[in-house]
Amino acid sequence: MARLKLNIFVTVKQVADPNIPPSHIQLDDSAKRIISPFGIPPVMNGYDANALEEALRLREKHNGKITAITLGEESSRDVLKRAVAMGANTAVLLSDPEWTHADGAAIGQLIAAGIKKSGPFDLVLCGRQASDTDGGQVLHWIARHLDIPVITPVVKIEAVEGDSITVQRLTEDGVQRLKVKLPALLGVSSEMNEPRLPSMRGLMGAGRAMISAWKKKDLAVELSAPRVELRKLAIQIREGKAEMIAGKTGAEQGAALADKLREKGII
Amino acid sequence: MPGILVIGEISGGRLLPASLEAAATGAALAKSFGEPLYGALMGQAGNVLNGATEAFAAGFATLYVVEHASLQNYTAHAHNGAAQAVVSACKPSVLMAPHTLRAREWAPSLAAALDTGLVLDCTGLATGGPDGADLVALKPVLGGGVVAEFVVRGTPTAPRMITLRSGASARAESAPNTQVERVAFEPASNDRVVLLEEIAAQASSGPKVSDAKIVVSGGRGLGGPDNWHYIEEAAAALGAAVGCSRPVADSGWVNSSHQVGLSGNSVNAELYMAVGISGAVQHLAGINSSAVVAAINTDAQADIFTRANYGVAGDYKEVLPAFVERVRQLKA
Ligand SMILES: Cc1cc2nc3c(=O)[nH]c(=O)nc-3n(C[C@H](O)[C@H](O)[C@H](O)COP(=O)(O)OP(=O)(O)OC[C@H]3O[C@@H](n4cnc5c(N)ncnc54)[C@H](O)[C@@H]3O)c2cc1C
Ligand SMILES: Nc1ncnc2c1ncn2[C@@H]1O[C@H](COP(=O)(O)O)[C@@H](O)[C@H]1O
Repeated sequence: MARLKLNIFVTVKQVADPNIPPSHIQLDDSAKRIISPFGIPPVMNGYDANALEEALRLREKHNGKITAITLGEESSRDVLKRAVAMGANTAVLLSDPEWTHADGAAIGQLIAAGIKKSGPFDLVLCGRQASDTDGGQVLHWIARHLDIPVITPVVKIEAVEGDSITVQRLTEDGVQRLKVKLPALLGVSSEMNEPRLPSMRGLMGAGRAMISAWKKKDLAVELSAPRVELRKLAIQIREGKAEMIAGKTGAEQGAALADKLREKGII
Repeated sequence: MPGILVIGEISGGRLLPASLEAAATGAALAKSFGEPLYGALMGQAGNVLNGATEAFAAGFATLYVVEHASLQNYTAHAHNGAAQAVVSACKPSVLMAPHTLRAREWAPSLAAALDTGLVLDCTGLATGGPDGADLVALKPVLGGGVVAEFVVRGTPTAPRMITLRSGASARAESAPNTQVERVAFEPASNDRVVLLEEIAAQASSGPKVSDAKIVVSGGRGLGGPDNWHYIEEAAAALGAAVGCSRPVADSGWVNSSHQVGLSGNSVNAELYMAVGISGAVQHLAGINSSAVVAAINTDAQADIFTRANYGVAGDYKEVLPAFVERVRQLKA
């Protein structure tokens, strides 16, 4: 029996473009934050775009509502507008100066509170990790505070039936098929789908999208002391140079590479 | 006295070698903190667990073994129940494990359950703070272009947690464990998550990327799945494992279990060959600990050549077949 009407929350994070070469990365004065270099705008975290795409496909099948939620600075409105332009019904921004240095545990606790405040939920879709922190933690803290199971990295949603969802989770040598009771949280991996681009109409409407914005006083959350404290960031630039194998033709180069590797005792 | 607990992983019927790397890092930490080193393994009773118990010889003061039928096939629920039983038995100040696909799920889930601090995918650990009691974790972020330094905090009742990227440390030298202790464990019932089946990816011939001596890897530059045989032929000639970049796995040219990089496998090969791979930081994150890297790419400015030891600027369709032929001659 197909389930009707799913309330889906998708967490979307605004991140520095992951394609910025390390030589162009900039840090703030405290060496604690990455700033997007001039001219390279921040983007929606890639796995979160996969999560939103999957939510849109589920809504096409089962109806229901999609809420995009983010925690970040005021400028994170942009990532919510993009989510609405892609097709999310509503959006929630959690923003307060006190949360600037929140660790993964705190971000997860706050987002969970934001979800609870926004209404009932059947499914929470997150990215398996954010491409700035490469943290892989926030989704688990959200699940803990919502007291729901979490499965990650998920590469396929097979079906939503009754009060369960059947998914495929990536393993070292294949996949596991798991049946999970709703409400549940999934960490979405990039194998799942190819995110759509926002439509023209979506982009035009997104400017007028209603975004609920909540601050510390709106969420009754007592944060505990940080469990992970960032001391500093350091940029790592690699400056090596390969020994290039010459040859008149590609074939000559190929044979010369084999000879070189043999000469060095590697093959 | 608290201690440093290293949880080993059993994979493919044996102890995952990265477990011994975690043990070596754990031993160094135990020395700095002046605390004992403990190990733990969990699985179904039987030959595989017995073999892993023997192989996990890293000089642990105690190696805790949890046996239960529910631990045969990994699920986070059963795994973390067992891990909690070991934590109750030895009350460690730090819990460490190799950074595997499984650990990406169970470790943060356990950290959240215990309400404690965790840093995943670390490449180094140090001690710090005025009295040297702080645990400092080094972790690449932003794909690997930046290294973050974190202080990890526990709670009075829960250990600080770390997973370690494979290849970041040498394996522990074999040393007998002082004692092996079985820990009783009865899993709490869980009707919320049911494992329906395990589907092994189509068995590809040759070794696994994560522990092969030679890996031949292809990227988007191959142009499409129809050209994938170029990579397979080269791998076969070298007796190598087949690897790939993320777009190749995402597009389904090959199964994700072959993916190399930040969100795939770490490769500790003697030779890593990158064909039609640009060398994004997220890809390089998976090959940092490989000894020699050779790259074939039409673009002489490609980033892969900053990591490669040997490079060919050329079209793989011309370069690779001649390379393969020469390898066959040399091996004959
Ligand atoms: C959070 C996150 C995690 C990621 N994790 C991973 C990961 O684990 N692994 C990974 O690989 N990537 C990962 N990526 C993606 C990564 O950023 C790059 O997009 C990806 O590695 C590029 O793959 P590629 O080199 O195959 O393709 P491209 O960047 O498109 O490069 C193709 C290359 O092929 C060359 N080429 C083209 N034609 C030929 C020819 N005929 N002969 C020879 N060379 C040719 C081109 O010059 C080019 O350099 C991740 C990204 C993010 C944001
Ligand atoms: N500030 C944030 N706002 C919204 N979602 C977030 C935020 N931080 C993390 N997430 C979600 O949690 C996932 C894992 O994040 P991380 O633990 O930082 O790797 C991301 O892919 C997002 O879906």
